Amino acid sequence: MSTTQFVSLGFNWKTGLLAPGLLLVTSSPVFAHNIEKHFKVEPRSVVTIHNPNGKVVVKAWTKSEVMVIATHTSDKVEVDAEQAGNRVDVTTHQLSETISPEDLRADYQINVPEDAELQIHDDSGEVTVANVMGDMNVETVGAGVDLEDAAGYLTVKTVGGSFQCVRCAGRLEVSSISGSFRLLSLRSYHVHAQTSKGNILFDGEFLPNGIYRLKNYSGVIEVHFSPGDSFDLSATSLKGKVNNQASLTPPAHPDRISKFGNAILGTFNAGHAKVELSSFDGTIKILKRD
Amino acid sequence: MPEAEAIRLAQAGNAAAFERLYRLHNRRVYSLCLRMVGNTAEAEDLTQEAFLQLFRKIATFRGESAFSTWLHRLAVNVVLMRLRKKSATETSLDEMTEPDEESGGPRRDFGTPDLRLSGSIDRVNLQRAVEQLPPGYKAVFVLHDVQGYEHNEIAEIMECSIGNSKSQLHKARMRLRELLHESMRDKAREDRKAAGNAGGED
Amino acid sequence: MATTTCRSFQEQFEPGSNSPRDVSVQAHLRDCPACRSFVEDLGSIRAAAIELAGSDPEPSAQIWISLRAQLEQEGIIHGAAGKGWFADLFRGHLGALPRPVLAGAYLSVLLAVAFGLSGPINSRINRQRWLDGTQSSTTPLSAQLRSFENDSLTSRPDTDSPVTASLHSNLEIVDNYISLCQDSVREEPDNEIARDYLYEAYQQKADLVAQLNER
Repeated sequence: MSTTQFVSLGFNWKTGLLAPGLLLVTSSPVFAHNIEKHFKVEPRSVVTIHNPNGKVVVKAWTKSEVMVIATHTSDKVEVDAEQAGNRVDVTTHQLSETISPEDLRADYQINVPEDAELQIHDDSGEVTVANVMGDMNVETVGAGVDLEDAAGYLTVKTVGGSFQCVRCAGRLEVSSISGSFRLLSLRSYHVHAQTSKGNILFDGEFLPNGIYRLKNYSGVIEVHFSPGDSFDLSATSLKGKVNNQASLTPPAHPDRISKFGNAILGTFNAGHAKVELSSFDGTIKILKRD
Repeated sequence: MPEAEAIRLAQAGNAAAFERLYRLHNRRVYSLCLRMVGNTAEAEDLTQEAFLQLFRKIATFRGESAFSTWLHRLAVNVVLMRLRKKSATETSLDEMTEPDEESGGPRRDFGTPDLRLSGSIDRVNLQRAVEQLPPGYKAVFVLHDVQGYEHNEIAEIMECSIGNSKSQLHKARMRLRELLHESMRDKAREDRKAAGNAGGED
Repeated sequence: MATTTCRSFQEQFEPGSNSPRDVSVQAHLRDCPACRSFVEDLGSIRAAAIELAGSDPEPSAQIWISLRAQLEQEGIIHGAAGKGWFADLFRGHLGALPRPVLAGAYLSVLLAVAFGLSGPINSRINRQRWLDGTQSSTTPLSAQLRSFENDSLTSRPDTDSPVTASLHSNLEIVDNYISLCQDSVREEPDNEIARDYLYEAYQQKADLVAQLNER
């Protein structure tokens, strides 16, 4: 039988806001440890999450509050959430020197104000963020990252984790070694995506004055466009192929065209956006949407 | 302390280095924000936000561009994001720089002679007119004509081509000219009305 | 400057750069009151803009005070009062800083120097010199990276963790790309695209090795 305790805490920080937190602790004599904490925050709060293994799900809500719900099964870890001024730090602590990946696992459900800035470090597991408009920095090793309806300055770095970004705006920089990327329904004005072994799919808008740089070593880079789009295109694969369905106006200056590899250069419609696709030995496809 | 040294020390968390970087650049950033939003309170808030974002990310600065360019790019983004959030409907950057023909004011006939602005505009009128520009035009005008950046620098800050920067500047100036002429005509109308009232009905 | 219409003239006109002494500009202005008015107006706008620049008030001193307080709260400024072990943990592990290890920083410097020494990208020098330059800078770099990688293998306790295994397998991927890029540079030493890829592959390796060293 689980017990529920409500404990009111005055968090101590030497500068900044005083924000009483509400701590809800449930513990089951069986296996799961659950913690729920609430923090009142001001606009543009910063939320940092450091979780070596497990799921991290962050969603925006309308309250000026950060809510952290954490679940873990092992006694060898401890989850901690603290507030310092307008920043909330969430951390999974390893209590034992020797610990298996399963024991290290903690899962988080975090609700934040829409304008919160996020800094997330999750080595393995999954990271999902939805509807958050503040800047974001996400780093993982193997964890996949899924962003939906995010905006702001988004930087994502994985080693092998995949990345999906749907209906995001603002500025996006993503890099990986072997992760693949799916960039769907994007309204970003700056996209810089680089992976070594992974594939990149871009199916979004090319905003006027936008810059879109997609790069890999091997694999496929696939970009979809519509007849009404307008971009300046540079697509080069050093050892692989470039398949292009866009009718391009060739550049006025032929010396722009590199003599190395397979390259396609030209302007589609008025060339308002800049699209640069580059692969070492992969295949680049520029395909018209149906 | 030279800027390069201040950057290096700031990346290690040195407080004096942060302050040095702030003092080196705060006036230009504040000026940019002030010209973009038109009021000091909001400009101060945006200046603080721009520097905060910069200092949070300073460890990632690798010197691919000049530090001031990087800072101004951040500041422009901060301002444009704020302006975007303030607009009544969701506004993408293309709407910010390519205003609807209808809302952009009456089309001018390029060959039509017009009232002269010379002697009638001062910085107060100009600032009011600048505030009415769409955010993208405003940014390029402030960076070029007010702050004196060249087009190649603006292209780096705004991450656009030099051609786009020139085109946006031209459109900004054309729009400003229209706004200032409208303002001149409104003032002339009010003066005539005031003169008529003052004359009374004898 | 050859212009035939007002629209064309006004689109191309740049205050200060189009000299009034230019014959075609003078001719058009002589005949076109609308464009004369346009040129004068742009001059007035420009002059008012310069006045604006000179009239900016000093930003409030409060900005730095608030900014500094926030930077201290977030632990970005070091030496702030009493943030304790938790702030140190934050600084050491989270994404506000890149891999904050000496290895990572040192390797970045090595890379920058190595590729700076290998010659300006656009210079027209012969292929052998490109090849020699690239090899002389990448050979010691490669040795350094191997040394750091070996250090990380011997000092790390959790060799079996999936995360470490993932880092290693990705290191192999990057090593493979370095090898492919090196072959490509050997075949075409003046191929700047191949050299860029080689440079980036080394950067990725440095980053991965630094991550391994952190664990």
